[in-house]
Amino acid sequence: MESTFALLMQGFAVAGAPENLMIALIGCFLGTIVGLLPGLGPINGVAILLPIAFAMKLPPESALILLCSVYAGCEYGGRISAILLNVPGDAGAVMTTLDGYPMAKKGLAGPALSMSAMASFCGALVATVGIVLFAPLLAEWAIAFGPAEYFVLMVLALCCLGGLVGDSLPKAAIACLVGLLLSTVGIDSNSGVYRYTFDMLHLQDGIPFIVIVIGLFAVSEVMLMLQQVHSGTEPMAITGRLMFNMKEFMLAKWTMVRCSLAGFFIGVLPGAGATIASAMCYASERRMAGKDHQFGEGDVRGVAAPEAANNASANGSLVPMLTLGVPGSGTTAVMMGALTLYNITPGPTLFQDQPVIVWGLIASLFIANVMLLALNIPLIRVFVKFLSIPNWLLVPGVAAISMVGVYAVHGNTFDLVLGTLIGGAGYLLRVMNFPIAPFILGFVLGDMMEQNLRRALSISNGEIGVLFSSPIAIGLWIAAAAMLIGPRLLRFIETRRQRPAAA
Amino acid sequence: MSERILGGLLLFVSIAGIWIARSFEAPFSYEPVGPRAFPILILALLGISAIALMLGSKSHNTVWAPPAVLKRIGALFLIVLIYAFLFDKLGFILATALMVIPVARFFSGSWKQAVAGGVGLGVGLFILFDRLLDVALPTGLWLNKLLG
Repeated sequence: MESTFALLMQGFAVAGAPENLMIALIGCFLGTIVGLLPGLGPINGVAILLPIAFAMKLPPESALILLCSVYAGCEYGGRISAILLNVPGDAGAVMTTLDGYPMAKKGLAGPALSMSAMASFCGALVATVGIVLFAPLLAEWAIAFGPAEYFVLMVLALCCLGGLVGDSLPKAAIACLVGLLLSTVGIDSNSGVYRYTFDMLHLQDGIPFIVIVIGLFAVSEVMLMLQQVHSGTEPMAITGRLMFNMKEFMLAKWTMVRCSLAGFFIGVLPGAGATIASAMCYASERRMAGKDHQFGEGDVRGVAAPEAANNASANGSLVPMLTLGVPGSGTTAVMMGALTLYNITPGPTLFQDQPVIVWGLIASLFIANVMLLALNIPLIRVFVKFLSIPNWLLVPGVAAISMVGVYAVHGNTFDLVLGTLIGGAGYLLRVMNFPIAPFILGFVLGDMMEQNLRRALSISNGEIGVLFSSPIAIGLWIAAAAMLIGPRLLRFIETRRQRPAAA
Repeated sequence: MSERILGGLLLFVSIAGIWIARSFEAPFSYEPVGPRAFPILILALLGISAIALMLGSKSHNTVWAPPAVLKRIGALFLIVLIYAFLFDKLGFILATALMVIPVARFFSGSWKQAVAGGVGLGVGLFILFDRLLDVALPTGLWLNKLLG
């Protein structure tokens, strides 16, 4: 325990260095803006900034601080457009529109924004404390994992994400499998065999991660934005007081605490994430409020609950990525790709091998959230100005900056063209409701999965049984099967139960 | 219908992929599992999922955007593709300006706004990235000659 504290202090020394503080501040600011723009969420922000951070030759800890503060900032930004425009800035803020917009209509935009900022801070703070307490324990436990357990763990992560997102199991499975397949392109590191390179020089080292990420989260996003042109609604004006009052705070304080805790644990589970956490917490708070509530018509608890939950779960989802090397969401998969660009392999040994990076990152989460709270309450009017960036400037700007990122890494036309083609394919798949998170997770985990599978089978001399031999592995297999079937079974039962009631 | 076509395409990919994977053979190997097994495993599962997609229920069928919008999206894609091709050759400033103008028009900017946006983004982002942030961008041959 004491050593954890010492390590955390060491982390604060890293994150508190003047240039890293500056980077965190810039990241928070950019993140909030990306988050509040409808259509752009944390995954786009992290994806677009990742290659640029890499090209600026930031040291790994600074690059991670930048990405984490952007990630944290996005979670704060999403609520601004939810409250003022009734359009969620990112997926986690969908529930915030339910009470946030009615509050703004009643002239309570200021308190809605400050209360949701406070709830965001509370959620993020609880979750970061959670990371400090649980991550080292989980890392210590996972260090006993052999290659077989690792392989099954990755299967579990893919099943969780595949089971929970999207409406169709074949589509989620296809997304995962195509991601895994694309990760096999290039020279096989064990045998030197060329796989699916089709004699193209640029494919020898595999498809660059950045090309995939930019294609999927920038190019296809731009195309989707043309499809969903919002009928230029004007944001509600912020009139009257900016701060929530004591009465509102007292009403929402336990909501914030409960939702922060729940959000953290939901976030740690692979697959669940911010959208599910905020929806679950909103629903349960509404139920707990009893008769005397105004949920849906502008209740402060209705903005506090989803915001506390989505920030807590966003931070919580860093836990499996850092400790197991198995990200549980699309955004953390992109962050893990960022680590691998710097030749850092996340996983249980990360806490021993790279304490500066891990604890610097955790400390920067504390710092970023304090900055975000400080930025978001007094400067809210500044951020609101960004809501009126016209699309005719924003969209080509996003396209240009994305290309800068891809070009910065290898400096060749091949990558730019490949990224655009992947973006086009990504657009088609996204319109067809293929979930993108399992795809990116498959691509990020593919190589590790194959390596661990081959290592496990080498140890057992080709005996498949090794994958089912230890109790941990068997437990993970059962969990994977449950995650794949469970949510659909529940939904099936739910619809069966509702049908007679409707008749 | 879209699901059927894509399912068929993916089934073809999985069969072709397995066929290609047959030739992945390590010249000499120390491990029981070579470079072939994992791709074949993935492709086989992909084939099964593709069949499931083709046979799946029709309730999740895709709703495409109206043809007029699809045409604009296709045009947008082509513009970005051409931008990617010309990025290095024309240099960042010129290529960006040429990309921004039509894209801005798609998002209902006026001609004046589009041209101003194109020049502004081209020059502004070049200064921001190339000069201030040290991210090297192509200047293009024409500008090199001008600058000497």
